[in-house]
Amino acid sequence: MQFSERVFCGELSSEDIGRRVLLAGWVDAFRDHGGLLFIHLRDRSGIVQIVFSPDTATGDICRQAALLRSEYCIAVSGDVRKRLAGTENPNIETGPIEVFVTELAVLAESDALPFSVSDKAMVAGAPSAGADHVAEDLRLQYRYLDIRRPAMRDNLMARHRIFRCVREFLDSRGFVEIETPVLTASTPEGARDYLVPSRIHPQNFYALPQSPQLFKQLLMIGGMERYFQLARCFRDEDLRPNRQPEFTQLDIEASFIDEEFLYELIEELTVRMFAIGGIDLPRPFARMSYMEAMDTTGSDRPDLRFGLRFVDVTDVFSETRYSIFRQILQRGGCIKGINIQGQSEKLSKNVLQNEYAREIAPSFGAKGMTWMRAEGGKLESNIVQFFSEQELAELKRRFAVTDGDVLILIADPSYAVVTSALGQLRLHLADRLGLIPENSFYPVWITEFPLFEPTDEGGVTSSHHPFTAPDREDFDPKNLEELLSLKSRAYDLVMNGEELGGGSIRINNRDLQRKIFAALGLSEEETREKFGFFLRAFDFGAPPHGGLALGMDRTVSMILQTPSIREVIAFPKNRSAACPLTGAPSAVKREQLAELGLLNPGGQDVLPGTAEKEDPIDHLSWVSRIGISAAERPVMEEILAGAEALARLAKEKAGSEEPIRTVAPVSNRMRPGTREMRSKLAESGKLLKSAPSVKGNYFKVASILE
Amino acid sequence: MDSIFFYRNPDSAASGDGALAGLNIAIQPNISKAGWPVDAGSRALANFTALEDATVVDRLSRSGAFLCGSTKTSEFGFGLAESRAGEAVKQKIADTELVLDMTGEARLAAAAAGVCGFKPSYGLVSHFGLIGLIPSMETCGVLSSSIQNIRGILKAVAGPDEKDFSLPDESVPDFTAQLINPTKTAIGVPAEAQSDLTDEQRERFRLSIEELSQAGFAVREVSFPEWPLFLAVHKIVGSVEASSAAGRYDSVRYGERAPGAKNWNEMYLASRGASFGTLLKSFLFQGAFFQFQRYTAYEDACRIRARLVADMKNLTGEVDFLALPVSGGASDPNPATLDETYRQFACTAFANVTGQPALVLPPASKGQAPLQLAGPRLSDAGLLSLGEHLLKLREGGK
Repeated sequence: MQFSERVFCGELSSEDIGRRVLLAGWVDAFRDHGGLLFIHLRDRSGIVQIVFSPDTATGDICRQAALLRSEYCIAVSGDVRKRLAGTENPNIETGPIEVFVTELAVLAESDALPFSVSDKAMVAGAPSAGADHVAEDLRLQYRYLDIRRPAMRDNLMARHRIFRCVREFLDSRGFVEIETPVLTASTPEGARDYLVPSRIHPQNFYALPQSPQLFKQLLMIGGMERYFQLARCFRDEDLRPNRQPEFTQLDIEASFIDEEFLYELIEELTVRMFAIGGIDLPRPFARMSYMEAMDTTGSDRPDLRFGLRFVDVTDVFSETRYSIFRQILQRGGCIKGINIQGQSEKLSKNVLQNEYAREIAPSFGAKGMTWMRAEGGKLESNIVQFFSEQELAELKRRFAVTDGDVLILIADPSYAVVTSALGQLRLHLADRLGLIPENSFYPVWITEFPLFEPTDEGGVTSSHHPFTAPDREDFDPKNLEELLSLKSRAYDLVMNGEELGGGSIRINNRDLQRKIFAALGLSEEETREKFGFFLRAFDFGAPPHGGLALGMDRTVSMILQTPSIREVIAFPKNRSAACPLTGAPSAVKREQLAELGLLNPGGQDVLPGTAEKEDPIDHLSWVSRIGISAAERPVMEEILAGAEALARLAKEKAGSEEPIRTVAPVSNRMRPGTREMRSKLAESGKLLKSAPSVKGNYFKVASILE
Repeated sequence: MDSIFFYRNPDSAASGDGALAGLNIAIQPNISKAGWPVDAGSRALANFTALEDATVVDRLSRSGAFLCGSTKTSEFGFGLAESRAGEAVKQKIADTELVLDMTGEARLAAAAAGVCGFKPSYGLVSHFGLIGLIPSMETCGVLSSSIQNIRGILKAVAGPDEKDFSLPDESVPDFTAQLINPTKTAIGVPAEAQSDLTDEQRERFRLSIEELSQAGFAVREVSFPEWPLFLAVHKIVGSVEASSAAGRYDSVRYGERAPGAKNWNEMYLASRGASFGTLLKSFLFQGAFFQFQRYTAYEDACRIRARLVADMKNLTGEVDFLALPVSGGASDPNPATLDETYRQFACTAFANVTGQPALVLPPASKGQAPLQLAGPRLSDAGLLSLGEHLLKLREGGK
């Protein structure tokens, strides 16, 4: 068989009827009809049914075919025929046809599979299999099999198309793709770096880039004018469900541009990317200032697919008799609320008081939550009697209350507590009440971020990074109040409550940059030490420039609407930042560490997992998690010597018998029933009775991470 | 006298109904009885109160037996250091006692106490509620002066248990007493099992065997050349299983938590380090070595075990029963190390490796040694009948 003549399974159609074709791929599923053997043959393009029939294939081939199993890699040639009426399979694209095999070559056999790859039923109406229920770590361990699944294959193909769209579009706008180094220097800003030890320079380290920020600005100073890169970035951050230690970001920077240029560029790009997933985004994207986002949604990445916007009612209660509100206002606090329209049936007094006011709102950081339900033209609640008619009337007006509405109010001396708690309640309620429309996408630019945030020490720190341009340049770097009122020329692109990316217009004027460092309280010397080489570049005629970075894993995941970003990454790390396929991260040989000068650096610290491994007692003590006292050490040394001797004896005496684990015949048993069961002892709390430390309904342990 | 017991049932003997009514049974604190402290002799289970009855306990109670308390055990029942097993029966405080037999503990305790001790076939008695170390080898042993009592207990507790998924689907032997015809019963005496005996022990054992010949049994010497490998297999497989089984003692769900750990790895290291005694630690370390450093040794041992089981099956096909010493060699009666502990069990570990039943009878006279009888797996009923036959002869009965 000549592979050069090969055609793709999924591309066959009724037009090919009568043709003789060569196909190659994997056995997706098979059905034996005694004499007739049907196989779903799958390659990257799709699935076609192939038929082994004694009428068209020799007895030899039919016998060989009977031995085929799932995921055998085979090549066949045969004749494309129209399927008999009524046997067409609507589950696959090539459903109306089938290929009668005349030749078969088994290219490679497959072991039994750890999970099913096939997810296309062989007959119309039959339920399809699928790996949705397979443990994710098992999928990741056999990712190459997982990728054979059409769902994963489609995700990776779509990711490719999205990336291609990015490249083509940016190319058409004059952007140049330039790679920046992965081995670079650790920078003082940002999250924790992944470090790479240098062998040539012992005890010195490269850092993997958290973003190519400095390099892309240097490219602007280098006169490249328009740059982009699909850059791999690395952050050693704490574990979160939808986060990867390494991720891909679309990094863009351009010179002689302003915000409007970037908004137009990114909106057009985003629209094109989402169109690949069949999603039509409205243009232009909405814009919202940071202040407005915080004031009305309590979040700088607001989910605007639904209402539930905050209304500030602080002034309504300026004269209130209700002592809790009065005290909060006396301390300079604020009161904000949400009208949940027409939901009083789902939000009973009991739910509002016992769930939301007592449990949920405090878990979001609020000290209390006030609720009112509108019934018969009046506001009802457990504390409504404390409010004046005037206050209640004004509340009804502000929130445009009609019967069936529910008001919730959060009051606190701290603006941050009010907006944070109410913002979380907003999301909680929207989710619980099903107020988030499916398949809707609401992009919004968040703008006018504060340039600085106050520090605990009475100074300021950059909200974004110190190279972000301020909205005006005539500020006094010593005036704290003025500094805190400055806005930055930064912008975030937010969609459905998720930040897809962000960026800023940068400072290109070295005097302004000095002023910013002065405001941050950094001396000339300190800035030189921290950013020396970078600042030096600005002494040579830096153009005005700005840019943005988009998280591509998250963006692709949103376009394809996958449950996690791991579904759109070929070989992701799992939730513990480990790779079940390769076993990374893993221990390294002591020699490797020695070569890198990492053994016993400074002559005193002992690296965990290195020196210990040298001593078999410490190693076993560690892997079996059994501490050994100094007095016990000689005993254990004897034990290990004896165990070595035993191992030698066992090796010498072991025959060719099959090893046994039990002397009784093994009986496989299934637990009766299919419903999940909870132990009665767990339900009654008895299981916790003998535990050394318990918190609530849980066993309490020392912290999992330091 | 009180020090025999770890816990005494505060209730007075209640006369239950059933086949075992009036029987006074002691257990050990590695057999769960709901509401009783059950620490398996280890700080790793300090202050643990059993939440449920072990299946054996449940079945004994249903048959009308009374549980008088639990006697002190070695740590997790491994070896006999600090164990008081057997003494309650010897002193007639209890009619019978249940002792986990993982290396021969029940049989050795019976021999020391001068009573009968029976280790049933592996797979006959539910493990549910037993706190053991070596799942593929241990089984609940029974001590009593009366084989009738032992048979009654086996009748009550043996058989399938839906709570113990590891029990095989095999038919349970009929424990009704069988008539023994000595002339048609061949008893083999494995030469290799006596190789470590001192001259004095050899003489005592010879006298015990003579009792069998005098009773008319066809006694002949047989050979099991690989006998020493039983102990080696037990050491490897047993310690690997123990290392694995002891993983559950994590100071989270039970036991004592060592203070001051910064994270949970440290918590395990410190708590487990403080919980286990040195002997147990030695055993677990040996297991960890085979588990993490030399896994092939475990595989090799499992292959050898397969061969030993097959060879034993052949041997017990040639003769009906085996007669062996219970202990031998210059073993220390109070072993401190793992090696010394194992030496005590040189003549008993084989039955744990193969899962066959074994019965220890007290010596008939002062000059004799206690006698260990064994049969093929699931020959429990016949083995008990053989023991009963011999005890009746001693009493001059027929």
